[in-house]
Amino acid sequence: MSRIGVVVCHCGTNIAGVVDVERVAAEAAKLPNVVFAVTNKYTCSEPGQATMKAAIEEHQLDRLVICSCSPRMHEATFRRMLKDTRINPYMLEIANLREQCAWVHTDKEKATEKAIDLMRMAVAKVEQNKPLFTSTIPIHKKCLIIGGGIAGIQAALDVADAGYQVTIVEREPSIGGHMVMLDKTFPTLDCSACISTPKMVDVGQHPNITLMTSSEVVNVGGYVGSFEVTIKQKARYVDHTKCTGCGLCETKCPTKVPSEFNQGYNKRTAIYKPFAQAVPAKPVIDPDSCKMLKEGKCGVCAKVCPLGCIDFKDTAKEYTETYGAIIVATGYDLIPWQDLYGEYGGGRYADVITGLQFERLVNASGPTEGHILRPSDGTEPKDVVIIKCVGSRDPHKGKSYCSRACCMYSAKHAHQILEKLPGANVYIFYMDVRTPGKGYEEFYDRTRADGAVYIRGRVSKIYKENGKLVCKGEDTLLGKPVSVQADMVVLATAMVPAVGVEKLTTMLGIATDPDKWVQEAHPKLRPVETQTGGIFLAGTCQGPKDIPDTVAQASAAAVKVCGLFSKDEMETSPMISGVDQQKCCGCGFCVNCCPYKAISLVEIDAREGARRVKKTVASVNSGLCQGCGCCTAACRTGAIDLSGYTNAQILKEVDALCL
Amino acid sequence: MSDIQSALRETAKKLLTEGTVTCVIGWGETRFPDKTTPIFVKTPEDAEKLVWNAHCVCGLAKYMLDNRCPEGKLAICVRGCDSRAVNRIVEDKQYKREDLYLIGLPCEGKDAPICATCTHRNPVVYDVLLGGPVPEIEVSQEDRFQAVTALEGLTPAEQYDYWQKQFSKCIHCYACRNACPACNCTECYADQYRVGWQGKQIDKAENQVYGLTRAFHVGDRCIECGECERVCPMGLPIMSQTRKILKDINDLWGNYECGLTDSRPHILGEFDLSDRDDFM
Amino acid sequence: MSVKADPNWEPKILAFCCNWCTYTGADLAGLNRMKYPANVRVVRLPCSSRVNPQFILRAFQKGCDGVMVCGCHPGDCHYATGNYFTRRRFMLMKRLLEYNGIDPQRFQARWISGSEAAKFRDTVTRVAGEIKALGPNTRFQEKWYEEGGEAQ
Repeated sequence: MSRIGVVVCHCGTNIAGVVDVERVAAEAAKLPNVVFAVTNKYTCSEPGQATMKAAIEEHQLDRLVICSCSPRMHEATFRRMLKDTRINPYMLEIANLREQCAWVHTDKEKATEKAIDLMRMAVAKVEQNKPLFTSTIPIHKKCLIIGGGIAGIQAALDVADAGYQVTIVEREPSIGGHMVMLDKTFPTLDCSACISTPKMVDVGQHPNITLMTSSEVVNVGGYVGSFEVTIKQKARYVDHTKCTGCGLCETKCPTKVPSEFNQGYNKRTAIYKPFAQAVPAKPVIDPDSCKMLKEGKCGVCAKVCPLGCIDFKDTAKEYTETYGAIIVATGYDLIPWQDLYGEYGGGRYADVITGLQFERLVNASGPTEGHILRPSDGTEPKDVVIIKCVGSRDPHKGKSYCSRACCMYSAKHAHQILEKLPGANVYIFYMDVRTPGKGYEEFYDRTRADGAVYIRGRVSKIYKENGKLVCKGEDTLLGKPVSVQADMVVLATAMVPAVGVEKLTTMLGIATDPDKWVQEAHPKLRPVETQTGGIFLAGTCQGPKDIPDTVAQASAAAVKVCGLFSKDEMETSPMISGVDQQKCCGCGFCVNCCPYKAISLVEIDAREGARRVKKTVASVNSGLCQGCGCCTAACRTGAIDLSGYTNAQILKEVDALCL
Repeated sequence: MSDIQSALRETAKKLLTEGTVTCVIGWGETRFPDKTTPIFVKTPEDAEKLVWNAHCVCGLAKYMLDNRCPEGKLAICVRGCDSRAVNRIVEDKQYKREDLYLIGLPCEGKDAPICATCTHRNPVVYDVLLGGPVPEIEVSQEDRFQAVTALEGLTPAEQYDYWQKQFSKCIHCYACRNACPACNCTECYADQYRVGWQGKQIDKAENQVYGLTRAFHVGDRCIECGECERVCPMGLPIMSQTRKILKDINDLWGNYECGLTDSRPHILGEFDLSDRDDFM
Repeated sequence: MSVKADPNWEPKILAFCCNWCTYTGADLAGLNRMKYPANVRVVRLPCSSRVNPQFILRAFQKGCDGVMVCGCHPGDCHYATGNYFTRRRFMLMKRLLEYNGIDPQRFQARWISGSEAAKFRDTVTRVAGEIKALGPNTRFQEKWYEEGGEAQ
């Protein structure tokens, strides 16, 4: 037999002014198992709480119903109060007599009737309540950062500076990402490499940061506080513990292939560092082009290496480690415009290039040492066309979203062309010019003052005529067709999520939007968190953004990680799903609808008659479950149930309403 | 027919002799000439008891969950409907496909009314097929959902009266549940007394709530074998409840037929961002 | 329908509301002192996807005159995707109920966000009005048994 106490709060006149609280208490006293029912002027006040505590002792109550304001207001207060009584904090139900009764009704009789119903529902529910206990999970204070671009670098430095261990996993041989490929950054025109490489060096030298380049995450298990992560480091064929990065091997390697870093505009060797300031500043061998690895002949690098670092028998290694938090910073790639925009030549014209290719052409450390030269014949272009929104804001061929950074970098490209090539003409085809950022509009104004010609309209076709690239389009402001004879065309192509990010998001169990950008937990209020506790977002993996926004988001994600790591253990809500393995038939319908991938099917030993059998049943990972209860409604047997909102509780609540 | 029957017996005998399977589930004779019953054949000699005739109406797939089955691999005779039922049970993870040997039997329809709207007379999955495939019949969506459409046209009061009349006959025997291959929970909600999902008394309200719950539990996975309706001793048109759900699924989310493969995603276990919510 | 001629009859409407949107919206209606008829009793649940369709049947069976399921708008679910499942489940459930003779007004689902206090007020006011016009629900109920005969 349960011993239920019911306290009906006056809340001054807030409730008592409309609801006959004495009648509610009197009705409560008539209910079976209710051994104590009173009204109270201010239940949440100190004296109010003291009265309740005394009553709990005096009447040996084992569960409590408080008819007061919304549980969203004081549920936590009353649970705290119960912590030092004989009642478990979860043996409490609150009937919302203020926000959802007294304040919204004027008819006293009807409001009182409703209040009695609400009280009865709460009493019926509390009878089914079971004591629940919060548990704690340990926090492994080690952070994994996936992606070594500027977002990953910034987040790593912030977390590491706070004193926590960080591992960066980068699939390329060097960190740096796209930012280090850029020449100058808008709107201040400071050199991108000059501001990013010191950060890269800091990462390389930071005592709290472990760098894992040429590596990828291959498996993720566990939950917030203790993710079990397996990282696979590809074979590098160079022993980085011995290598000093002297670079002798690179000078002697006979194999030359197009450099990825320089967008294929010059060559690199098979044993290579992607670029001069790479971190780690040590080479790796590209097994797809190395003669020794492909054909078994050559081995020049091994012969010249003074320290004997080359190991052609090197293999991929897997490391498994436990991390308390993960920051996803996988960045972006450019949309494969060649496949989508046949009208722009589909990649047939060497002088139709992307913005990123232009960055390498204009970069002092690039293949042309900073001279803007046409890729086709190495001459200086005189007339340059820049086309914006190639793939962006184009739902038919590309993506419907705006890639955000292109308006500004196109203005910067125009500025650089006009500065480096006196007398050159720059025509920018645009749909709209979007410059929301500090100093951005001013920069755009300056570019126009420099002489860039902005034409509002899309280019419909590019074709070659007399050695020129003819760009045909419409000036929608004039309402007339235009045609520009260009020497070079720069396309501001859309950002798309990095290749292969889907595999990672599936592994992590985090959601992506229809364009495959990683979904934040809340678009406004939780922009750097994911739905999965302990997994955070930084940079363009979440959506297109420019460098300042990326860095800001990376630091925000780092603060979230530091906040998590500031405690040794984390309290978890006990109001989560649990499986009655006896009832569970292992159909797995709950697995499909769980937003947190918290449910998995496991095999257990069971008995079936006289037989010992293996039985498949669902199992809830208490670290991942957030207690939505979606699984419970998918379960036909009722084997999976949500503590605090069990099927029995809700059914009894429903029954009580209709008594 | 008799050729196939002897081929069936041969196959069963071979499977049992070679030890490929420990049991063959098929149809056997009864005391009544126009009825057959499911049998569990466990020895090569007993293979002679298997029959294949126009009276083999009973669905067999559900019997693989029966505790009369011995341990080891099972063989089951499957017509089109049985094969879809096997897929149903395999997809619901109640049995592994590799633990089953399916003897496919193309079927030209048996002594059951449901066979008139059968769209898969040839087994959709089998390990061996006895006899050549039979021609499929065309069944239009109108024919498939004819009973449902007729009821949909009534007013709520008329619909309620109709169902009340029907459910007043229900005796809570749970035969519909026991025969249904989609009803494969180890412990049915209706047998649970502590949670209080519903009462045990036989009255029209409880009957109808049971009927609706059963329909909702299986409707989205129904393979339209018609067993529920066939086994109902009181002749309730139960299938028109599950077919109502199937019809709605077809209307709402496109063509839908269950049990054609063993890996079709469960329609209520997935969603589309652009799903309709015009009922709001 | 043999409605008892009770001029003071008031319908009882049960509303399953998700904690994060509709329940918050209902609280906000209170904070703003909006007024609506006292017919709705709210059951607080973490998410609209917690609502088992059987709860709806149970409510009708036990004597509710109307049932509502309310949750966050699609895309706003606190648990990311819960309400998408709600949408599918109750799309089917509603049609099945109507097929079994439940008037469409008696079961309604709505998306009401935490800020849409006015929408909560308007919705429950309208639903209460509709159900009052329909009269007491006797379908799915055991009352015919107690009263010793057919209710209708």
